[in-house]
Amino acid sequence: MSDIPATLHYTEEHEYVKPTDETNVVQVGITDYAQGELGDVVYVDLPKPGTKFGRMEVFGTIEAVKAVSELFCPVSGEVVEVNELLDQDPAAINRDPYGDGWMIKLKVRNSGELDQLLTATDYAGHIGE
Amino acid sequence: MAADYTLLLAAHDGNAWLRLYSWNPACLSFGRNEPALQRYDRERIARLGLDAVRRPTGGRAVWHSAEVTYAVAAPADTFGSLSETYAAVHRLLANAVSRLGLAAGIAARPTAGHAGLGAGACFASPAGGEVVVDARKLIGSAQVRKAHAFLQHGSILLQDEQDVVSSITRGAAAAPLATSLSRALGRSISFEEVADVVAEEARSEWEGSWNESVCEPDPNLISRFADPAWTWKR
Repeated sequence: MSDIPATLHYTEEHEYVKPTDETNVVQVGITDYAQGELGDVVYVDLPKPGTKFGRMEVFGTIEAVKAVSELFCPVSGEVVEVNELLDQDPAAINRDPYGDGWMIKLKVRNSGELDQLLTATDYAGHIGE
Repeated sequence: MAADYTLLLAAHDGNAWLRLYSWNPACLSFGRNEPALQRYDRERIARLGLDAVRRPTGGRAVWHSAEVTYAVAAPADTFGSLSETYAAVHRLLANAVSRLGLAAGIAARPTAGHAGLGAGACFASPAGGEVVVDARKLIGSAQVRKAHAFLQHGSILLQDEQDVVSSITRGAAAAPLATSLSRALGRSISFEEVADVVAEEARSEWEGSWNESVCEPDPNLISRFADPAWTWKR
């Protein structure tokens, strides 16, 4: 069974959204289920801080043993921080997807979009768990 | 590459393809994010007159010469999840190889973890799930998923000439752990013989009506994949 923290929100494309201490800033990464499906992650291509994305726009790519996949921005907003640790240690996504394996921090443009994300229960149903 | 990518984009319309082809001239391909500038000797590649291209899929360098190259492009949920898709395509290929009289297996995930992108040739080590014969890699594969479709393509070696990759590698090159159909069978084998068994296996295992056609790549994609700035982007 995958780890699906109850306090986070999710996309059908397997990204998660985690609140931070800063108002309207969320942390984005891929779920435990997604990292398990991909296998060992070997490379992540992430945007620079300051880049803006619309909801479900592609914000980067991830390469793992089994596939290269696009990464989708769960809500519209501006990238305010990128996890530079992943340059040297992309496997952190496998070890700790919700912690050290986070990808970007996003200043949310429209907080109403957060309500359109999946709950943990919804996401568990989506992946059949 | 442009033809395979054309199929990936077209798979968003709900159709699926199995493409079987060979390379003329022979060509070196790099993985989408492989650090080719650092790992391979670009000047030596030019001096030897070798063509080089960068794939839209991941992984490491492959020398495409005596091989059957396969590409499967389909809607993302055709075979289930990502790992189910990866397994389904390899299972089909392993069954096709078995039709030739070989005991093909699926490689276990390496206990030491996967070799990184800078580790050199694709055929230096099998990744978990890939097709092996006698514990040596026979088919090297890579997949890309874009929106709601996937492309998986790879090389079924007729002969093992992967030492070409070693010859253009900077520094120490890992010894390839490849095998080939001609080596495993103890006889030469043609492109047509292998392509036929793969097609037969697909027709019997994958549901749907099959039509044969020649893939016409999108001209814009031809320009994109022919651009040295893409091939040598890193």
